[in-house]
Amino acid sequence: MALKRLNSPRLRRATSRLALFLCLATVATLAVPTGAAEGTDVHGIARIAGRPAPNIVVWLDAPNAQRPSQTAKVVLDQRNLNFSPHVLAVRVGTTVEFPNDDRVFHNVFSFRDGQVFDLGMYPIGATRPVHFDKPGLSRIFCNIHPNMAAYVLAVDTPYFGVSDESGAFNLPSVPPSRYTYHAWRAGAPELSGVWTPGASESNDAKLAIDWSK
Amino acid sequence: MRPNTVVLLVAVTCTLNAHVARGQSITTEGSITAGTSSDEVSAVATQLRAFGEVPDHIRYYVETAWATSSDDNSDAFGAAYPYRDRVQVIEAYGERMFLPGGTVVGARAGRYRTPFGISSGSDHAYTGFLRAPLIRYDGYFALSNNFLEHGADLLVGVPRFTVEASLGAPADVGSAVRRSGLDSVVRLQSVFGPAIVGVSHIRTLPYQPASFAFGHTDFTGIDVRWMRDGVQFRGEWITGRPFNGTTTDGWYADVMVHRVAMGPVTAVARVEQLDYDTTTGLALHTKRQTIGARIRLFEGLSAQVNVLHHKGQLDQYRQATIDVGVTYSVRHR
Repeated sequence: MALKRLNSPRLRRATSRLALFLCLATVATLAVPTGAAEGTDVHGIARIAGRPAPNIVVWLDAPNAQRPSQTAKVVLDQRNLNFSPHVLAVRVGTTVEFPNDDRVFHNVFSFRDGQVFDLGMYPIGATRPVHFDKPGLSRIFCNIHPNMAAYVLAVDTPYFGVSDESGAFNLPSVPPSRYTYHAWRAGAPELSGVWTPGASESNDAKLAIDWSK
Repeated sequence: MRPNTVVLLVAVTCTLNAHVARGQSITTEGSITAGTSSDEVSAVATQLRAFGEVPDHIRYYVETAWATSSDDNSDAFGAAYPYRDRVQVIEAYGERMFLPGGTVVGARAGRYRTPFGISSGSDHAYTGFLRAPLIRYDGYFALSNNFLEHGADLLVGVPRFTVEASLGAPADVGSAVRRSGLDSVVRLQSVFGPAIVGVSHIRTLPYQPASFAFGHTDFTGIDVRWMRDGVQFRGEWITGRPFNGTTTDGWYADVMVHRVAMGPVTAVARVEQLDYDTTTGLALHTKRQTIGARIRLFEGLSAQVNVLHHKGQLDQYRQATIDVGVTYSVRHR
């Protein structure tokens, strides 16, 4: 009885329609250009005196880039008496959450330059937001734990990245053009120069940053 | 081998052999402080800390300290560490935190500071004050900042309201060493906007000799912190009995100001009072006022200056005293 139902014409018609719908949906999805297809993924290695270095912020000037109405949630965690990540790059207009993930109180502040704020003391499980609405470097400290420090660099461009432990960074979906690039690291003068993505079969480009140059 | 020695060896081994923690997180810190006081006291103190996280989100914290002072009877520079002229393990614990759906659950086990009131090392060490509050110092029939537990501690609640309970045995390292036995601490904490209010109760054993100090030690305290725009107020009021036939009451109120225009300077001030009474007529009544500053000279190096005014029965101190200390701290991550 159950086998007869499975072979019924009504069920076969429904199965055919579902298959047709899935095919059309797949074709439509592939036909719509994605953000990644509009530009080039720029990869690079940031180095100091030839050695790969983490926590280096690299960005490309893009004065005409549109600002998004909403940005993804960005978190600078306070965990194990450290800020994590140690260096954070955000686009101007981003709100960064500062959750306290430690059992002790923390009191995050930035007094010196960039975004000036003082979040006061708050306990584990609580979070405080900071809206970074102007470009620049903010030096972040905890008033209770003097050894806790972090940097937040707000940049007015969508094309930015921070180098990881191997020095690698990635600037996704960069439209082909001529750019002024910048690189920042703690305690060093900013690097900048002019860069144009080269042609590549793999639709990506290379940008080398080295403070030894 | 004594338990403290074992803990110390494990701590030093883990700290020096950081490769055992490869793939995990470890931060190490070292601090050294030198100070002198017009009370004719000089002191040197160092601390070594290692903390981080191992797989399964278990966190650890180990702190060892060595400190020496030219005068064991003075509380100068005794803000958070004992001056016993030997290397001591201050804390060595593991903990696991859970934050499911906006709630907070934390379990800690090992050796840790007694969680009564404002008690963490970072609350008292090098915040700008070079002495512990009278009500939180070893020798004044009160609750010491150097009280430590060997035990387990559970924290539950939501960020705005938590309940903490600790059950363990005293494991003190200062000049006030409680008798061994079971002790317990319960602490409630609530957050009201910029204010944090806590209520704590401890039942433990006296640190005075059993020949004349009978019964248990019981203390209850209220602590308050408030902070906004770089101005912090905090204080504790503590009342209880160190042992049968005695009472100790005391309080302190601190203000710490660190505004944008002050640059590297944090200004501090404290007023405090301690009253100890016994049925036998022996008593200790004293007041103290402190003003001072912590100045961040450059990265890792800071200076602290305190001017104190004593009034009362602590005869070993001059009425007016100046303490000066310099701390250098370095961190490796």
